[in-house]
Amino acid sequence: MSLMSQTRSVIVMNVRSIPQRLWMSLATVVSIALVVAVLLGFLSLANGFSQTLKGSGAPDVAIVLRDGAEAELNSTLSRDQVDLLGRGPGVRSGADGLPLVSAELMLVVDGIKKSSGTKANMPLRGVGPNGLLVRKQARIREGRMFAPGSNEIVVGAGLLREFEGFELGRSVRFGAQTWRVVGVFEAPGTVFESELWADAPVVQSLFKRGTSYQTARVVLAGPAALPAFVDYAKNEPRLQLKAQSEQAYFAGQAERSGLLIRYFGWPLGIMMAIGALAGALNTMYASVSNRAAEIATLRVIGFSGFSAFMGTMVEALVLSAVGALLGVAICAVGFNGLSASTLGAGFTQVAFRVQIGPEIIGQAVTLALIIGLVGGIFPGWRAARQKPLLALAT
Amino acid sequence: MRDFDLVRKNLFRKPLRTILLTVSIFMAFLIFGLLTSLNVALDRASETGAASNRLIVSNKINFTQPLPIAYVNRIAATKGVTGVTHSSWFGAFYQDQRNSRFVGFAVDPETYLNLYANDVRLTDAERKAFVTERTGVIVGKALADQYGWKVGQTIPISSNIYVQANGRRSWDMKISGIFTGAKPADSTTALYFHYDYLNETATFGRDQIGNVAVRTASSDLNNSVAKAIDNVFANSPYETSTVDEKTFGQAFLKQAGDLNLIVTMVVAAAFAAILMIVSTTLVSAMRERIREIGVMKTLGFSSPRVLRLVLGEALLLSTMGAVLGLVVSALVLSVLSKSPAASTFGDLSMSPLVALSGLLLAITLGLVTGAIPAASALRMSIVDALNRR
Repeated sequence: MSLMSQTRSVIVMNVRSIPQRLWMSLATVVSIALVVAVLLGFLSLANGFSQTLKGSGAPDVAIVLRDGAEAELNSTLSRDQVDLLGRGPGVRSGADGLPLVSAELMLVVDGIKKSSGTKANMPLRGVGPNGLLVRKQARIREGRMFAPGSNEIVVGAGLLREFEGFELGRSVRFGAQTWRVVGVFEAPGTVFESELWADAPVVQSLFKRGTSYQTARVVLAGPAALPAFVDYAKNEPRLQLKAQSEQAYFAGQAERSGLLIRYFGWPLGIMMAIGALAGALNTMYASVSNRAAEIATLRVIGFSGFSAFMGTMVEALVLSAVGALLGVAICAVGFNGLSASTLGAGFTQVAFRVQIGPEIIGQAVTLALIIGLVGGIFPGWRAARQKPLLALAT
Repeated sequence: MRDFDLVRKNLFRKPLRTILLTVSIFMAFLIFGLLTSLNVALDRASETGAASNRLIVSNKINFTQPLPIAYVNRIAATKGVTGVTHSSWFGAFYQDQRNSRFVGFAVDPETYLNLYANDVRLTDAERKAFVTERTGVIVGKALADQYGWKVGQTIPISSNIYVQANGRRSWDMKISGIFTGAKPADSTTALYFHYDYLNETATFGRDQIGNVAVRTASSDLNNSVAKAIDNVFANSPYETSTVDEKTFGQAFLKQAGDLNLIVTMVVAAAFAAILMIVSTTLVSAMRERIREIGVMKTLGFSSPRVLRLVLGEALLLSTMGAVLGLVVSALVLSVLSKSPAASTFGDLSMSPLVALSGLLLAITLGLVTGAIPAASALRMSIVDALNRR
């Protein structure tokens, strides 16, 4: 028999004998599945959060902040500056012929988070009539947009999911003021869904902000128009502001966020993997010693040590692959798509969905296969080196 | 003693198997020790210095919204209040906005040091210097160590919020003192400076403050004082929300996410895995020894004694792995808590409660994993056992 067919038949024998060690093999599969589920759980949390941030920015929209302000909350712009920005190079005009600029201000208000039942920060954004136009993904899902000059708010679908008491038609109080929810907007996969929107002048007056804004979003003719606009915002003496593409703004936030989750996920995944590896080694050593007589017989009738090694190796890999599949399935069914929220760079809650992706599945499955590989090598080595006659004698 | 020797010898009959099982158990308890301690530390950090008779008054809309400074005196006049001070978040950083941010508050020095005397510890001379020096600042020991700051030095502290009337975004501050916390493990990565200095130089936010801290005569009065304060300002342009310090800290911590749930799930997964690994391995180890058990019973070992031997083996295994795991996690935690990055978590060391619950968990694990093999050994008849091959 050729080495190939020898090896193939030993592998088949090994795999078919797994039911003889059903419980130990099952323990290995389940422990590897749990490693994969835990690691993938953390990674898909981080992934969901960073995908939401990355999905929020458009390449042809510039976001303008005060120079030195890292977050909207710390920025301030005057009405005059906003008007000047609209006259910048490459700014696109709307249907009414006016520049597509949305001057906005954001402040933090309290809401009760459903998951914890405690107060958490929500962003209340004062937007102008162009608020929807500068965000392509956003549209009103239920109800209608707020009427200018009124105490009406529209609520993002993500915020609605995570916070209590913002259903359509409800009245909400912030401090001494009462607002009415007249609409629900959605902007799938973006941070905007985690916001409350109201008419900017009303927000300015009720929160005593005078005529000041914090950011301006400016729609440009295309991504190519960005450098000229950035220069204009920086060098025009009355502006001296920092403009950047919305995409770059959110990509920067995505880079710095989710790191903590990853820093936790990997060490925990690896620690659990070492524990599961020890279990896998035990199972595979048991497999080799169970089949000692069988391996010895095969060697006596001329099977190579290599085929014995490969039989054990493939058995370990099969167990870890089944474990990996089970782990991915647990994560896909149990976690994927769950709604979660955490404190984002803007010091307010960002609602997002736990999101499995091919890249992170690949990482988790790789870890499982490493467990299988290492868990197969040493017992396989023992199988290959087993003295034929000695094994039969016992 | 003889029984213990028997248990020990049985356990190490196949040393590799026992070592591998110990590694699995060790890892689960390492994870348990680290995560549970972190959870406890975060819980404690949110209460660091939280005195039971201190309340925090903030704007009802959200704690980032301002309050008028005139509120301080009105709050002080509330019945049951024995001390009042205020603080305003400065968004402080030193040189580099991204990498050298820290906690910085503009405060009223005299009343602040009065209310927080226990948490912000200074020498009498430092205290006096801070109160009298208008541009004075006190910095935490950890912060001073990090940047090599010394008392008497003048440092430029920038704000990511405020701007000076002259266009500058940094304020020159003279270090009046370096403070330590109530306990050595308390986080000291903050700085405090004069509110008046900020109020006179900043371009906006004039006469507005962040939060007001209130000391009540007794924690029994907390609820009534909180209600009284909020009633005073109800229906004003700046309504207030008053809660005790601990509630305030925990609500803030919970904004990050449900850490408790995550810790519970990970620890549960780790233990489910070792429960399966250890119990199936012990069952198969016991199967190899069925004839021996038959021999032992023939020699007159009573069934309960055999049961004790088998259970004892499982218990010895699990406590061995658990003690190793708990000791190593305690060591890792003590090394981690010395690193500056971890200081934000507060006291990271393992609490006796965590260690104790770890040991209880180990005993439970030993009993559960030993149960099946012990039961089969107990029920085994001599004839069956000796017949088995």
